[in-house]
Amino acid sequence: MAGIKTASGDYIDSSWELNVYVEEKGPDADPVRLRVTGDTHIGGVMLQTVDKIQLSQNWSDHALWWEQKKMWLLKSNWTLDKYGILADAKLLYTPQHKPVRLLLPNMRRVLLKVSFSSPVFRAVIEICRILNIRHPEELSLLRAPEEKEKKRKKDKDMEREEIHDFTGLVFPGGSSQQLYKGMPAYFADSPETEECYKVLSVSQTNLTPEHITKIYRPGSVVDKTQINSRWLDSSRSLMQQDVKENDKLSLQFKYYCFFDLEPKYDIVRINQLYEQARWAILLEEIDCTEEEMMVFAALQYHINKRSLTNDPLQQHRDSKLDDLDSALSHLEVKLDSATPTDVLDSIAAIPELKDNLRIFRPKKLTLKGYKQHWVVFKDTSISYYKSKEEALGEPLQQLNLKGCEVVPEVNVPGQKFCVKLLVPSPEGMSEIYLRCDNEQQYARWMAACRLAAKGKTMADSTYQSEIQNILSFLMLQKSNPDCQVSADAENINTQALVSPRYQKKFKSKQLTPRILEAHQNVAQLTLMEAKMRFIQAWQSLPDFGISYFLVRFKGCRKDEILGIANNRLIRIDLSVGDVVKTWRYSNMRQWNVNWDIRQVAIEFDEHINVAFSCISSNCKIVHEYIGGYIFMSTRSKDQNIALNEELFHKLTGGHEAL
Amino acid sequence: MEQACDDIDQMFSDLLGEMDLLTQSLGVETIPPPSPKAPNTEFNFSVGFKDLNESLNALEDNDLDALMADLMADINETEKKTFQAQKPPSSSQRSTFTDPEPGFSIAASFDYQSNIPAAYTQDFEDYLPPLPLPPKLDLALPLPPPEPSEPLSKEELESKAKTDKIKLALEKMKEAKVKKLVIKVLMDDDSSKTLMVDERQTARDILDNLFEKTHCDCNIDWCLYEVYQELQIERWFEDHENIVDALSGWTRDSENKMLFLQKKEKYAVFKNPQNFYLAKKGKDAGKEMNEKNKESLLKESFCGTSVIVPELEGALYLKEDGKKSWKKRYFLLRASGIYYVPKGKTKTSRDLACFIQFDNVNIYYGTQYKVKFKAPTDHCFVLKHPQIQKESQYIKYLCCDDSWTLHQWVTGIRIAKFGKTLYDNYRFAVQQMGLASRWPNLSKVDPTVTARSSSSGAVQANGQIHQNVIPVISTNPEAFKRAEDKKPNVGRKPDQAQLQPVPSSNHQQSPKVALHASKIPPPAPARISSQAYSSALTLPSNVKNVNANVLLPPPPSPSPPPPDAFPLPPPCNNDLPPPPDDFYDPPPDFLPPPPPCFATGDRAQLPPGPPLPPPPPSSNQPKPFMKKPVPLPPKRQDITSLHSEQPSLAGPTPVGGGGGQPDFMSDLMKALQKKRGSTS
Repeated sequence: MAGIKTASGDYIDSSWELNVYVEEKGPDADPVRLRVTGDTHIGGVMLQTVDKIQLSQNWSDHALWWEQKKMWLLKSNWTLDKYGILADAKLLYTPQHKPVRLLLPNMRRVLLKVSFSSPVFRAVIEICRILNIRHPEELSLLRAPEEKEKKRKKDKDMEREEIHDFTGLVFPGGSSQQLYKGMPAYFADSPETEECYKVLSVSQTNLTPEHITKIYRPGSVVDKTQINSRWLDSSRSLMQQDVKENDKLSLQFKYYCFFDLEPKYDIVRINQLYEQARWAILLEEIDCTEEEMMVFAALQYHINKRSLTNDPLQQHRDSKLDDLDSALSHLEVKLDSATPTDVLDSIAAIPELKDNLRIFRPKKLTLKGYKQHWVVFKDTSISYYKSKEEALGEPLQQLNLKGCEVVPEVNVPGQKFCVKLLVPSPEGMSEIYLRCDNEQQYARWMAACRLAAKGKTMADSTYQSEIQNILSFLMLQKSNPDCQVSADAENINTQALVSPRYQKKFKSKQLTPRILEAHQNVAQLTLMEAKMRFIQAWQSLPDFGISYFLVRFKGCRKDEILGIANNRLIRIDLSVGDVVKTWRYSNMRQWNVNWDIRQVAIEFDEHINVAFSCISSNCKIVHEYIGGYIFMSTRSKDQNIALNEELFHKLTGGHEAL
Repeated sequence: MEQACDDIDQMFSDLLGEMDLLTQSLGVETIPPPSPKAPNTEFNFSVGFKDLNESLNALEDNDLDALMADLMADINETEKKTFQAQKPPSSSQRSTFTDPEPGFSIAASFDYQSNIPAAYTQDFEDYLPPLPLPPKLDLALPLPPPEPSEPLSKEELESKAKTDKIKLALEKMKEAKVKKLVIKVLMDDDSSKTLMVDERQTARDILDNLFEKTHCDCNIDWCLYEVYQELQIERWFEDHENIVDALSGWTRDSENKMLFLQKKEKYAVFKNPQNFYLAKKGKDAGKEMNEKNKESLLKESFCGTSVIVPELEGALYLKEDGKKSWKKRYFLLRASGIYYVPKGKTKTSRDLACFIQFDNVNIYYGTQYKVKFKAPTDHCFVLKHPQIQKESQYIKYLCCDDSWTLHQWVTGIRIAKFGKTLYDNYRFAVQQMGLASRWPNLSKVDPTVTARSSSSGAVQANGQIHQNVIPVISTNPEAFKRAEDKKPNVGRKPDQAQLQPVPSSNHQQSPKVALHASKIPPPAPARISSQAYSSALTLPSNVKNVNANVLLPPPPSPSPPPPDAFPLPPPCNNDLPPPPDDFYDPPPDFLPPPPPCFATGDRAQLPPGPPLPPPPPSSNQPKPFMKKPVPLPPKRQDITSLHSEQPSLAGPTPVGGGGGQPDFMSDLMKALQKKRGSTS
């Protein structure tokens, strides 16, 4: 025991005094003074500290932080000497887990306790465990962007309302996840925690265009490079990177190779990924064409609809419980090879539509308008007659709509409900317009046309839902944003489904029909399918998954852009935006970082050498990106193999880790 | 058309009736071993024998099953009736046979079927075909036999029978609704094959079918290729495409053709993905890459959450609507469609204008557009809705600078349109090729047998096909070996082709008979029709050549190793009704012209044909028809399930059938099982 004294009070051993500040006592409180020797173990120091504080609480999460060296003293069996701690050391006795305000990919902010002592990589794994996101290696943390003074005040008011407290969650130890009510059991404790789970797994439906325009959008590639400068270093802890308690951080998917997305287990993950994709598109972080934007908008609309109509928790619960049921019924079906009822259904009479509609067939050099006809929709064909009485005879014309294009031509305020059909025939496409009198009639015919275009008849089970879809879309048009948006959650603002560029380009009157048109291709997807489709469409964009950095290549005088993707590096001309050169990782032999001159050097097959220094961000981030992607490619399908953390650090750590 | 269909149905049903009789009488006839009949008839037997073996060897499982079922049905149905009715005197039969009437009607019917010169499609969409139903009933009813094992109460039995019947009826109704087409596929040697395709079959199924029929190497480059004469466009069907759907867009008087040929472009992207994914504007095209890298590149491009469409952009010429001028524009390919850069804009995504999306269009090669449309080059591709058959403003014509660019665009568009399906198709094709290459091992005897059976026509047929096949680079060594094996025959081919238009190769007939055959083309009933047919044919196609190809021993000869077929006791062979196997070949129309005497021999059996309606049509036609009900489930599993039913089927037959039939059936079963054993 250190601190043996003579009678005069002089210490006769080589002990000295160590100051330990305790977080709980506040920043201004006096430190706890301990008498130690160089042989004292860290564990002993902590024990003494706790004794001296005389506060009874759980200290198990606390550890010592060495302020000057910016390091944690986590090895409790190491002595002070081994750490090199002398009397001048300022040690802080502080919890390893502290709350941060974490911005999730879905732009929701949560308060969450995060490890400040383990490397960010590990901290993210812990976060993802709580959030129930698989494959945490694909995500990482970013610092919050530095905000301008003016903005800060306003935003603070807003965010205080929005933040969701996850600190109350009691996360059970152990890796096995118990499901309860379709969510991990620890979320099912109370209504509050269930609400938390909804924040994670349900997408936001009540966006307004203002929401989007308010958020910062990168205007150029150089702006995009700024985003990447905010990534935290995965091999060091938050504390080491000057992150403070209650700081704002964002959690994002960093590596764009999403391993094994499985709607069954990845409810949160897919939702977050969808949201990240959605925001990337809404904030124009990734460019897309007008047509693609309409598809994205339609998918968002569909996802919003689905999220509102069925309580996802309910649904999940059912799906889990129904597993057995469905298995049983499957078995039944198998035993009863062809359930007669099914077959009967399929041969049962197919519903028909018969109505007086106005028809218009545009022909060259004619200005004839719509003419009233008796129209019969049967199977996938429409036939029209002069009048109802002649319906027994030969139709004036019969058109099979299979494979045709169906375009809505609707103007609700103008009470115009037209279906434009482009029917393929050997001679080309014949154009025909069916004009209905009201919404109801329009919805029935439109739905029938759409199904017929896909080769289905009105007997198809989707017919009714198709009608509902169309009606609800018409409702959208009715409640034009001009006549004030109600705060109703049901209300989906179509303007909020597209990026500001297209908000400006189209009036919502024009936008709605276009989204509606794109929507017909996705209208039958389930919620999860729609999210997956969105993610896939995002992945199909040419610029998907490229992280930009401003660099200067060795021997070049001007700045250029380096794009890092999951399989390749891209050199991009900054002024023109053209891809100058692409290198694939599969051809890469090795890469090195010269930490002194902050230069990354890469060697490819056939003795191609590239070297560049990073301007927009720390070269550690570039290094980590490349190493990270290589790490991602080493993952195997086997679920049981634990994440090879060591390899990750080896590939991404740089000299600090070695 | 509808009416015509009805006619055909009518004919089919008539034919079926006739067939039954034939089967019957033949069996009966042949029971007395030292037949007092004319040599013709005797010969006829051997032909029948030969044909049986041949068809047994040649037919795929489906067909065998179908044969089984057909026969069972026929027998069951007719045994009671006709058998009791007693065998009619054979002499009288023969006399009726000479009746020119039937021959004529057959010709007519065939003419109908084939009067569209190069390719024709015919709707067989018939609801409730008259005859096939009953046989199906017979076939299906034996299904329940297992039930007797446990004694059921009367009611239970009744209700069960009732539900079974309902099920059956429903199935039949479903089946009846299945749309079928008869298609003629041109081989690359100007011959052709006629196939019945039903709406559940994909291009892959048909390719497999053709592989078996043509004895080719099952290379992955083979494709079904549609050619629009009028528009001068062509394309191959992707393996997953539904052929009936695709063809139903053709007009009735269409001059479109369907070919069976090899296109190395079909799966080029999977053989050398680097050319499409890594090459920059064709510069590095042809650069080699090791297999491992290729594989990982493919995996990366096709097995991710979404398929990666090759980056492709560049100037193409676009034909302007209604004009013969071509305008140069800068196009970009994206997963969502083709875009172009509008005047004065940059090629950033947001400025791009959509040129076309792929949902409703197919991609075709345009041929000879320099002449037709004054295109800048002949490397053109066309995007159009599959149903458009004539020139129209809705067809988009694009022209590339060179063939490589064209290849890249076509491939890129296919990937964008079909995505992972394309890769799945490829992998399946490779797998099929692997399977095919194992055939020679299973039936090594084949080549030798063919060689031995004197210079039978079959051999030359083989050779002929193989000629086409040899240049193909087969990645599978075994397949290659097989090709080598057959090579020797090639040399012999030409002269023999002249001499013997004899079909069968695998038959175990003695050389003598085969020689015989060369003089008098054998399979009787078919002959009749084929003669009629060839005369009716508007195609001036070289008949001999055609014969060789069509008859060529359905090479897949993998099936029942000849030795097994051998033991077939001769008597039972005699019973076997020659006609059935002829039906078998859906392309029977091309059989060589038969000597009239032959015809007589067979015809003889027709008259007793009971109350069948007037024009006794060709025996060929019923085949496809008969076939219908059975092979409905083209899937393997179904086959096996069918298989399991069969024993019970076989049971009842002998009872009613009497005569030699049971033997025949059992042999058939044997062959069937052998075949299964070998293929599975």
